[in-house]
Amino acid sequence: MKRCSLTFVALCILCSVTLAEARGYIDIYGSSFKKITIGAPPFKGAPSEKLPSDMSDLLNKDFDMSGFFITAPASLMDKELLDEGVEKPAIKFDNWRSMGVELVCKGRLQQSQNGDTTLEAFLYDTLDGSLLLAKRYKGRESEWRRMIHRLADDIILTVTGEKGIMSSRVLFTAGVRNLKEVYTADIDGQNVAKLTNYRNIALSPSISPEGKYLAYTSYKEGKPNLYIKDIEKNTEIYADRSDGTKIGTFWLNKSTILYSHTTGGRSAIYAYDVEKKDKKTILQREGILASPAVSPDGKKMLFVSDMYGSPQIFVRDNDSGEIKRLTYYGTYNSAPAWSPKGDLIVFVSKLEGGFEISTINDDGSNQRVLTNDGTINDSPQFSPDGRYILYSSQRGGKYAIYVMLFNGENKRLLKFTDYNEEQPKFMP
Amino acid sequence: MKHVFILIVVGIFVLAGCAPKVVQQTQPVAPTVVERPLAVEDSGAKMKKEGISEEELAEAKEEQPDRSLQAILQDIGFDFDSYAIRGSELPKIERVGTWMKREGATNLVLEGHCDERGTVEYNLALGQKRAEAVRSYLTKMGIENGRMKVVSFGKEMPLDPGHTEEAWAKNRRVHFKVDKKG
Repeated sequence: MKRCSLTFVALCILCSVTLAEARGYIDIYGSSFKKITIGAPPFKGAPSEKLPSDMSDLLNKDFDMSGFFITAPASLMDKELLDEGVEKPAIKFDNWRSMGVELVCKGRLQQSQNGDTTLEAFLYDTLDGSLLLAKRYKGRESEWRRMIHRLADDIILTVTGEKGIMSSRVLFTAGVRNLKEVYTADIDGQNVAKLTNYRNIALSPSISPEGKYLAYTSYKEGKPNLYIKDIEKNTEIYADRSDGTKIGTFWLNKSTILYSHTTGGRSAIYAYDVEKKDKKTILQREGILASPAVSPDGKKMLFVSDMYGSPQIFVRDNDSGEIKRLTYYGTYNSAPAWSPKGDLIVFVSKLEGGFEISTINDDGSNQRVLTNDGTINDSPQFSPDGRYILYSSQRGGKYAIYVMLFNGENKRLLKFTDYNEEQPKFMP
Repeated sequence: MKHVFILIVVGIFVLAGCAPKVVQQTQPVAPTVVERPLAVEDSGAKMKKEGISEEELAEAKEEQPDRSLQAILQDIGFDFDSYAIRGSELPKIERVGTWMKREGATNLVLEGHCDERGTVEYNLALGQKRAEAVRSYLTKMGIENGRMKVVSFGKEMPLDPGHTEEAWAKNRRVHFKVDKKG
């Protein structure tokens, strides 16, 4: 993805927009960026009372979670603004501008006899009244949340050059201390689905890139074994029941998985091809090996090892086999994950009392600490576009899942169940 | 003493009335009879077909009610982020080794555990190494390797759910369990 280097101010001056063309209003890869104030008043036109305000509430929540917007509170909008039409001639842009609102999103709902709902949405720039986005979404009334998330993602695409994550699903474990199962859910907490039901401890789940296979570690047979399941057929297609701890899976491609195996002697990282049923040893050495993760271009592999006496992260060149140490700061660095953009690595670092989420460049430079709450943060994972990080945190006493921008800003709590939630990943 | 007796009796009723626990199961043992270790069941694989309520899980005790066995099979403690066996722990391991030599037919499961700090995955590996270190010492004492199984639980099954140094120290342990299936 090409990075836009234009600043927001420069873009305002340049103007001239074609409909629905994605243009970068915000350069989010700058060291900090200015959030855009957006107003999204309740939609017009629906017969049922609650739906328009539910929809704009959810839309505003999505804007807030994205980290790119400040949402104009409804209390600021007087009757005149709320009664305004959705088409350009009806809108008093200077009223919006005088409130500090830079973008305004208007919507019109229509419901047909059979319960089909159509949402027409319009996004305007209040500076010159230009129409940035005009889209129609159609579905059953019960699908209104999905429509709103798609609208939010489309608006985010228009404003930042990349789609938002509001329509994503999340994979995670949930449970109590010694009873954890694997779940998926929409990122807004809806449509929670349970993928395992062994009434035991399930850990470190991962799903293959095309969504076909679920890999996880489970104690259902008395010790931490690694299992791979064909999700659609609901059949187990691989199990590693050997002595030792098998955990920490990374899907290299749609059918090959990496995982680590710790024993009393040498530990290993294996690559297992689910279709060829072929297991290869990638790395083997004394001590602990954990958490393999491969770069998007496939050239390098991250892993955790205690070869220097405490857990540190190393990078292995997959061609030459050469191993270099990545982390030097602190006595405990673990749980690495590579950004799909290839440039940034996120991991857990012990700093003073806590375990914090940090990022570092793939050459080991510029470590940035993104959390600072002194508790236990774990399992950071990037979104497919590399802009967000999911992670679990014990900061509220219970383990819960959070999402934040890759630079640590805009941390938001996610909630799916009433239990401890950990080890989150974006679904492919 | 009386306190303990009541606890044991309550424990028996709790265990007797409960559905089998999620991961580890021990049969209740009557306090007046000193059971042979083989009678204590470790049904690792025979797991939990029935449901378990959260309270039952919370109340679940891993420790075997047999006090004399408890005195022999004591938890081995470790330093944070370490799987090195501390000198102070050696007598405990040696006691286990001596006992195992006497009880030639008994096998053990060595469970490796960690405190809550750190990551889920690394802690699972660390627990493995802790238990392996203890097994290795027992092997050097002359116990056959095959008489001991190793299972790591990482930080998933703390003994003490607290967030203090004390709780953490308790949780960094290798715990011994008699293995019925041998």
